[in-house]
Amino acid sequence: MTALLPTFIVMPVRAETPVLRVLAWPGYAESEVVQSFERQHGVRVEVTIVTSDVSLWQKVSSRNMDHDVFAVNAAELQRYIASGLVSPLKPEQIPNTSRQLARFRDLAAIPGLMSGGKTFGIPFTYSEMGLIYDRKQIGTAPTTIAALWDPRYRGKVIAYDGGTHNFSLAAQRLKLKSPFRISPAEWPHAAEQLIALRRNVLGFYTQPEESVQLFQRHKAALMFANYGMQQVHLLEDAGADIGYVIPQEGALTWLDCWVITRAARDPALAHKWIDHLLGEQASRLLTERQGLASTMAEPAATRPERRLIWLQPPEDTGRREKLWGRIRSGDNIARVLAP
Amino acid sequence: MKFPIAWRLGLALMLVGVLGSGLTGYFAYQASRDQLVKASEERLLTATRVLMRQVTVALKGISADVLLVAQHPQMVRILRRSHPAFQELTENNVALIFDRMMRVHPEYFQIRLIESANHGLERIRVDRGLGSIFRVDDAELQEKGHYPYVFDTLHLSPGAVYVSRATINHEVGAHAGEERPALQVAAPVHDADNKAIGVVVINVDLQGLFAQLAGDLPPELKLYLTNGQGDFLIHPDPARSFAFDRGQNARVQEEFPAAAALLSSGQRHEDYVVTSGTHTADTSEALVAAFVYQSLRGLESEDEYILGLSQPLASVLAESNRLAAETLSIVLIFSALAVLLAIFLARALVRPLSQMVAEVRRFSSDGSTGALPIARNDEIGELAHSIEQMEAQIHKQIQDLHEQQDKLDHLASHDSLTGLPNRRLFLDRLDQALARAKRHETQVALLFIDLDNFKTINDTHGHHAGDAVLQTVAQRLRTLLRETDMAARIGGDEFIVLIEGPCDDASMESIVRKVQASLSLPVPYQDIELESGGSIGIGRYPENGTTASTLIAAADQAMYICKTKKGR
Repeated sequence: MTALLPTFIVMPVRAETPVLRVLAWPGYAESEVVQSFERQHGVRVEVTIVTSDVSLWQKVSSRNMDHDVFAVNAAELQRYIASGLVSPLKPEQIPNTSRQLARFRDLAAIPGLMSGGKTFGIPFTYSEMGLIYDRKQIGTAPTTIAALWDPRYRGKVIAYDGGTHNFSLAAQRLKLKSPFRISPAEWPHAAEQLIALRRNVLGFYTQPEESVQLFQRHKAALMFANYGMQQVHLLEDAGADIGYVIPQEGALTWLDCWVITRAARDPALAHKWIDHLLGEQASRLLTERQGLASTMAEPAATRPERRLIWLQPPEDTGRREKLWGRIRSGDNIARVLAP
Repeated sequence: MKFPIAWRLGLALMLVGVLGSGLTGYFAYQASRDQLVKASEERLLTATRVLMRQVTVALKGISADVLLVAQHPQMVRILRRSHPAFQELTENNVALIFDRMMRVHPEYFQIRLIESANHGLERIRVDRGLGSIFRVDDAELQEKGHYPYVFDTLHLSPGAVYVSRATINHEVGAHAGEERPALQVAAPVHDADNKAIGVVVINVDLQGLFAQLAGDLPPELKLYLTNGQGDFLIHPDPARSFAFDRGQNARVQEEFPAAAALLSSGQRHEDYVVTSGTHTADTSEALVAAFVYQSLRGLESEDEYILGLSQPLASVLAESNRLAAETLSIVLIFSALAVLLAIFLARALVRPLSQMVAEVRRFSSDGSTGALPIARNDEIGELAHSIEQMEAQIHKQIQDLHEQQDKLDHLASHDSLTGLPNRRLFLDRLDQALARAKRHETQVALLFIDLDNFKTINDTHGHHAGDAVLQTVAQRLRTLLRETDMAARIGGDEFIVLIEGPCDDASMESIVRKVQASLSLPVPYQDIELESGGSIGIGRYPENGTTASTLIAAADQAMYICKTKKGR
C-alpha cells in the first residue's frame, strides 16, 4: 500500500566534504577562483566577505572564531600576531610565491609580515588609497588630501566608514609626522578634523559597490578611494567620467596578505588556498576585474612620481575605532572625546 | 484438475474486484490529495497576501504619522525659532507628541526632528530605552546630515515619504534601537517658502513590527522578509537574517529558487510565488512557502520587500495522510466485499456446471438421466436443455441400435422366406433340448421332412410357386405344433421338427399322421392348386442317437427310406 503514500524526491545528503572557511575582501575570492579550487581539491569553500578592518578583527578575535584563512593588510597583521590569532606559515608549501615580484618575495624587507623569524603573511595585492574625482565638476585634479574638507565640495564628498584609515587621513591633513602615530595631545585635533570631514561629506560607504552607487546617484564630486583602483575600475565600468589622483601628502597604501588562523582545521589545505590565490587565474582576475595590482607583475600604468605610504600598525586601533563610531553617529567633539 | 474452474474464476473475480477498488481508491486519493495541497497552498498564499496588505497598511500608517508630524506648523516654528519666547514650550509640546506616539506604537524605536542646518543636528529626539520612553538631552543630540535618511529626504517634495533600506542600526547612542534591524521612515519639513529645512524620522523596529503583524498566525507558519536583492531580513533562523551585515550571504533564492522571479535584481515576472524548499539539506523539513511582492506605491522607498510564509510540508500533507488512511480502509472494505462477491458468484456459476458434469458422468456410465438445471432461463439453462436433448437423442439411437441388432439376430437365425428358424438356430435348440433330456431323462424326437414333388413344382410353375409352397408348409407346421415344439427349415425343401417330451410310438404316429395330412393338402397358388406332400423320417433320442448329428442322420435316414418306399 506504500504506493498510495506520497513520495518525495530525496536529495542526496552531501557527504562530509572538507570545508575551507575563508574571510576575504570584496573581489578577492571570485566565484571562478573558488570553484576551480573546490574542483581541484574536492572541498567546499565558505567565503565570508569583510568590508572593514574592524569587522575583520571582530570576526577573527571572536571567541567562536570559525575561519581558516583570511586576508588582512600588513599593518593590521601585527596585532593578530601579538594576540596569537594566527599561525606561522610554511612558505615552501606555497610554490607560487616564486612567481612573485622580487620585492614581494623579500618578506623580511616588508614590515609586519614576520615575527620572531617566522613568516605570518604572504603578500597578495596592494593598492594606494587615492582620490577619485568627477572631471565635470572638478576641472583641475585635486592635489592634496585637504580637498576632502574643501567647503566647495560640501555635500559632494564621499568618504570611507573606517576609523583606522580616517584617523590616518586626519593625521595627514594635520601634517603629523606619521599618520600612524597620533600623540595624546593630537587626538582632539584629529577628532575635530574628522568631525569637520563628516560635516563636509555627503555620506560614508563600506563596500566598493555602495560607493559607486552613492557617487553616481548623488553626483558626488570627490571620493576617498579606500579600495583604490578597484573603485576606479567599477566607476569606469559604470560609465563615470572620473579622474584618480595620488595627493601630494602621499597615498596610504595597504598591502593585503593571506594568513592562516591559529585555529585552522586543515593548515595544509589553507596553504593550498594561498597558493591557488597566487596562481595565474586568480592573479589575472584580480587585475582584470578588480583593477587591483597583483604581486606577480608591476601595474601597467606605473607612475613613479606618486608617493605611497605603506600602512603601518597604528598607535591604538581600538581607540581609533571607538572614536570613529561616535563621530560617524554624529556626536560633537566633547562626546567624541568622552572617556 | 489442479485448479478447478471455481477457484480460477473466483480468483479472477477477486483480482478484478480488488484491483478495481484499489485503483479507484488510488486515483481518488491522488486527486483529493492534489486538491488538498492546492487548497493549503491557496490558504498560505492568502495568508501571505493578507499579511503583506497589513504590512503596507502599517507602512502607510507610519508614513501618515511621519507626515502628520512633519507637516505640523510647530515643526517649522521650532526649526525657524520664529517665537524665541515659546521655543522651549513648543519643543516640549512636540516632544510630548513624540512620546505619545511612541507609547501608541511599540514598534517605534525613536522619533526625531532633524534640521537641515547644523549638519543635520537632531533638534528633538525621543528614544525607547529599556522599558522606558524618554527625550534625549540636548547635549546628546547628534548630527545626522550624512545619513541617507536625512540627505535623501531633504530632496523630497512636500507630502512625499522616504523609506530607507532595512539595515542594522549601527548608530552609537540609539538606545533600544542600537544594533537592531530598523527601517527609517522620514518626511521633509518645508517652510513657507517651500524650502526643506528639516526632516522628521521614525525609526521602526522591524522585528517588533512583524511580531505584531504576524502575532496571530498559527505557530507552524514561519515568516520571511527579504529586501529587493533577496537578502533575508527576517528568517526563522536568526543567523540567516541580515547576513549581509556580517559579510555573509543568505538569500531567499538559495532556499526557494522559484522566489527569484520576484526579485528586483532579476526580471520580475511575478508578484507572487508558491513553492517548496528547505532551510537545510534535510528533506524531512521540507516546506511549502508563499512569497508575495507588492510595490510600495506612494512611498519613496530605497528598497523593495518580499514577504513570505512557510508551512512544513508534513503539516500540509497531514490532512492528505488522513485521507489516505480513510481511502485505504474504504478500499479494504470494498476489496473484502469483492472477495465475498467473487466467491458467491463463482459458486453460483459453478454449482449448475458441476451438477451437469455429474449428470453427464452418470449418464455416460449407466445411461440413466437425473436432474438438470433446465429451469434456468439463461445460458446454463440452455446448456442443460441441450444436454437433456442430447441424452434423449443418444437414448433413441441406442434403442434403434438394439432393435437393429434384434433384427439382424433374427435374420441370422431364421429363414427369410418362411420365417422359420434356420439350421443354425435349430442346431442350437437341439443341443439345448438334448442337454435337458439327458439331465431329466426325457425324450426328444426329430421329424425330418422332405417335400415331395417340390422340384417339379419349381420347374413347372416357377420359383414363386415353390416359394409359396414352402411358405404354406411352414405356416401349416407352425399351427400344427405345440408351443414347446419347433419347426425349422434346414435346406431347400427340407424342414425339421423338434419335439420334446414323451415320444412313444403312438404319439409319434399321431404327429406324423397329422403332419403328413397337412402337407398333403394342396397349396393354392394363382388360381391353381399345387399338389405337394412330404416324406418324414423320425429320429428319437436316446433310441436312434444321443448326439445332434447322429440323431439328424438317423432321421434323415428314416426319411430317405420313407421316400424310397413312396417312390416305389
